[in-house]
Amino acid sequence: MSLIQALLLGLFGWMSSIYSPVLISGLGGWYTLGRPLVSGMVIGIILGDVKTGIILGAAVQALYIGLVTPGGTMPADVNYAAWIGIPLAMVAGAGKEYALALAVPLSFLGVAAVYSTVAINLYFVHRQDHLIDEGKLAQAARIPMVGQITNFVFRFTPIFLINFLGADVVTEIVKVIPQWFTDILQIFASMLPIVGFTLLLKMIVKSNFDLLFFVFGFIMVSVGGLSMIPIVIVASVLAYIDFKYSKDKEAA
Amino acid sequence: MSTENKQLLSKKAIRRAYWDWMFWNLSVQNFERMEGPGIVKMLADVREELYPNDVKAQQEMMQRHTIFFNTEPFLGCIVPGIVLGMEAEKARGGDVSEEFINAIKTALMGPFAGIGDSLLPGTLCPILLSIAMGLSKNGEITGPLFYIFVFLGIMLPLTWFLFNYGCKAGANAAQMVLANGIKDKVTKAAEIIGLVVVGAVTASYAKVNIGFVYASGKMKIDLNSIINSILPGLPVLLTAFLGYYLMVKKKWSVNRMMLFFLIVAIIGYVTTILAV
Repeated sequence: MSLIQALLLGLFGWMSSIYSPVLISGLGGWYTLGRPLVSGMVIGIILGDVKTGIILGAAVQALYIGLVTPGGTMPADVNYAAWIGIPLAMVAGAGKEYALALAVPLSFLGVAAVYSTVAINLYFVHRQDHLIDEGKLAQAARIPMVGQITNFVFRFTPIFLINFLGADVVTEIVKVIPQWFTDILQIFASMLPIVGFTLLLKMIVKSNFDLLFFVFGFIMVSVGGLSMIPIVIVASVLAYIDFKYSKDKEAA
Repeated sequence: MSTENKQLLSKKAIRRAYWDWMFWNLSVQNFERMEGPGIVKMLADVREELYPNDVKAQQEMMQRHTIFFNTEPFLGCIVPGIVLGMEAEKARGGDVSEEFINAIKTALMGPFAGIGDSLLPGTLCPILLSIAMGLSKNGEITGPLFYIFVFLGIMLPLTWFLFNYGCKAGANAAQMVLANGIKDKVTKAAEIIGLVVVGAVTASYAKVNIGFVYASGKMKIDLNSIINSILPGLPVLLTAFLGYYLMVKKKWSVNRMMLFFLIVAIIGYVTTILAV
């Protein structure tokens, strides 16, 4: 991996992290560029293989699709997982099972970065208080800009350094890993999307019968072999019927 | 009192405050006040508009917002909108006390954090992402592009509307959104689409192959093809139900679930019951 590539990964990784303001904060950042599927595309562009980037991004996305990060508590950090896990697996020429194997431990490391950031930022909060008390209002207003430095340091630096220094190491490790290990990892990685999707079902399913919709969608692919657009159309029809029916019920 | 001016804030000031909030809400996220500094910045940047040449009043306004504030920043942007509206009314001599502004602000942030988190990262994002993943099964670029355009195409106008609405309608705006039945129905419809789509993506992304083959003389039983002839993808579907049972009914954590699957993968590989 070249220096420029690692620098770009660090830069885009920072822009897509949860506390970064640059891309209209979470709108273009955390919830768009920060979703591993979209990150994968950009990583693919930077490393010159868009297709592989998206495939690896989708694999990491599947695991974290049900992850909600409410009010500052963070169960896993998708940022390191995507911006370090995907590029390292890519340069090593490894499959999505290695992207996932890297992503999971990195997501725990990322949580430590989140907690460090919100702890250090206390300094800036109190700095803002003092500036207001002293009547330096314009300076106080700039605190969210100045204080972004903490988040920048905790995002740009590790992503840049680990990608730049780690690429060769990971490539060497992947070369000497025996086939049986890769096989087990692959069986494991093929089951992992279920964890992500179950987390999502947990939020959506209100009664056990709702799972019938899930089975219906499943069968449309596994038996019917339909692609996504027709499935969304069929699902919309079902949703419309439900919408209409529940409205009539209310009027009656 | 300058009540002759019905318009409390200029369009320019509202736009300024909106972008301010949109960009800087979480920039100095911290343990103590969370998004508090973002609210301070938003009001500080329109302070001349609210209290022209009155530094003392500007300072007081900023001081009263140096408290805890936390909500879902985007669908919850109606709350900073309401805060701006109340501050503007106060600045124009309206009967709005400092305690009232902060009481409303604090009372609304919780409900909108809940609604926002369940609708945005809990519903909209995963549904759009599931569709996008379905479009990118073989690494096609259509998936991410679809997600970027649809997500921002919905969220930019919606947040702009919510912020303005909050600013103009004041505290009443929250009631409208919180009590309106239409939200529940739209959510229900979105959830049905979500369930179907998630089922579809599970079928295309998860894989469980039974490798077990029983051979006796010329007879050979390939368990994988037998099971799949009952229903294609049945092993995946059963694994998904097992996952659902363990994580939802038995309340297993994500890490425990992953560890369980890792152990299953190792045992499955060693006993050749599972294959790549």
